[in-house]
Amino acid sequence: MRPRRATYRKATDVGVKALSLLASLVGIFFLGWILFEVARRGLGAIDWQFFTQNPAPPGVEGGGLSSAIVGTLLITALATLIGVPLGVMAGVYLAEFGKQNRLGSSVRFAVNTMMGVPSILVGLFIYAIFVLPFGHFSGYAGAMSLAVIMIPVVARTTEDMLGLVPDALRESALALGAPRWRVTVSVVFRSAKSGMLTGILLAVARVSGETAPLLFTALNSPYWPSSLAEPTSNLTVTIFNYAMSPYADWQQAAWGASLLIMASVLGLTVFARVALKEKKG
Amino acid sequence: MNGAVAKEFRRVDVSAALASRPATDESRGRQVEKEKHPKISVSGLSFFYSDNQALFENNIEIAGGKVTAVIGPSGCGKSTHIRVYNRIFELYRDQRAEGQVLLDGQNILSPSVDIIELRRRVGMIFQKPTPFPMSVFDNLAYGIRLHYKPSRSELQGRVEEALKSAALWDEVKDKLDKPGTALSGGQQQRLCIARAIAVEPEVLLMDEPTSAIDPVATARIEELVLELKGTYTIVIVTHNLQQAARISDSTAFFYKGYIVEHGDTRALFTKPKNKQTEDYLTGRFG
Repeated sequence: MRPRRATYRKATDVGVKALSLLASLVGIFFLGWILFEVARRGLGAIDWQFFTQNPAPPGVEGGGLSSAIVGTLLITALATLIGVPLGVMAGVYLAEFGKQNRLGSSVRFAVNTMMGVPSILVGLFIYAIFVLPFGHFSGYAGAMSLAVIMIPVVARTTEDMLGLVPDALRESALALGAPRWRVTVSVVFRSAKSGMLTGILLAVARVSGETAPLLFTALNSPYWPSSLAEPTSNLTVTIFNYAMSPYADWQQAAWGASLLIMASVLGLTVFARVALKEKKG
Repeated sequence: MNGAVAKEFRRVDVSAALASRPATDESRGRQVEKEKHPKISVSGLSFFYSDNQALFENNIEIAGGKVTAVIGPSGCGKSTHIRVYNRIFELYRDQRAEGQVLLDGQNILSPSVDIIELRRRVGMIFQKPTPFPMSVFDNLAYGIRLHYKPSRSELQGRVEEALKSAALWDEVKDKLDKPGTALSGGQQQRLCIARAIAVEPEVLLMDEPTSAIDPVATARIEELVLELKGTYTIVIVTHNLQQAARISDSTAFFYKGYIVEHGDTRALFTKPKNKQTEDYLTGRFG
């Protein structure tokens, strides 16, 4: 048999390397550009007032986004409280109990589908079942829509992370006489802890930047969020409104809010990836 | 290695292993209870993975306080067989056992058996060491707390006792709060043995406990097995014929889901009654 020539193989190797390098550079370039641009335009808006004062009407000097910051924190926290336990439990079912059965595969299919549902549809759905019947927008509805977005993400990561735990570990605990739930909680969770926490943090980071589902649910408000039962001020819808407004100071504030969200999401993601991974080391 | 060499090699080596055995249990200064009834008595045990039958009408009696080795080629049902003794196979929905397995006269396959108590009485050691992701101390405390409500001092006493029985105490007494996964492979396996012993089982099932461990650590575990027998009934699956010859009192040869031959280790290795056993021992297959 005639041997294959090395020249062609080597050329292909170099070509593929160059192409994939180029592709990743393009991706990183745009990410860097966005980060840079948001930081450049947003930094000017961020000062003490930005964090401490409520929004001022257009034309009035000063004012900040404290109400929106607190509103976003509240809505995201509530969404996490609802979404994480449900997501984790669904993931546990999928990984520990519904591996092969019919219900398990239906739930898995549903979870995968839900991950791909556009977030604006989730917003409309919550609008239909939780805003229309009550006749007004509310922070609760906003939190619910974010929770619905979180559930499949958390369920999926939980399932994946629990799936990485070797069966031998489960068997060892069972063989000692541990009941199934105790094996899951005390041995399997412990083993998958850092992966699960990473997944949860990434899910929180993901929803904290969502705008569409809040437009139809929490809406927005210029006031301090004293109750989640009414339209609740939040950063993303504020960005949406302010960026579209004709007022320069509002546009400036929108950049500031964008920078704040971007920095938080980036911080959370880096924390999830670095801090938790190193601990595992 | 060609067949003739393999045959020669295996013969010589096993006889050396047989010679290295302690002559009798009594010579080791151990009180051996003469038991009339077998500890475990298996009759008509068949096993299925979905529709595939893996065990066919297994019958065997496991003597109390002895070491029984289970040998045979890969995939012949050795592990499957011992995984019935603590019903660990029930973790998987598609696996099912039929027949009778009596532990001290009680059929453990009966649904009325308390599976938690069964697993306390019948401990298991796996091929790869499986320390839990927690400290050395907590690894042992985990099992103890499942079955007992010890006071702090009782717990510490029991942990120390179990680690001593597993010949691990001297190596880990200063790192009880270190993660169990930080120990060496051989230490991890002895940790697992200690963990199993700590709940005071009667039977220890060992599923190729040394196949993932270096030779020196293997030797320590074999020593440990010899020390533990008498107190515990030990059933050990092994691919290492020399190991079976060194440490077991009786040996069962499995082939394609059948128990082909079971008897005194020395007799089985030197004068196998069955042609298949002889072929396997002399390296003609497996």
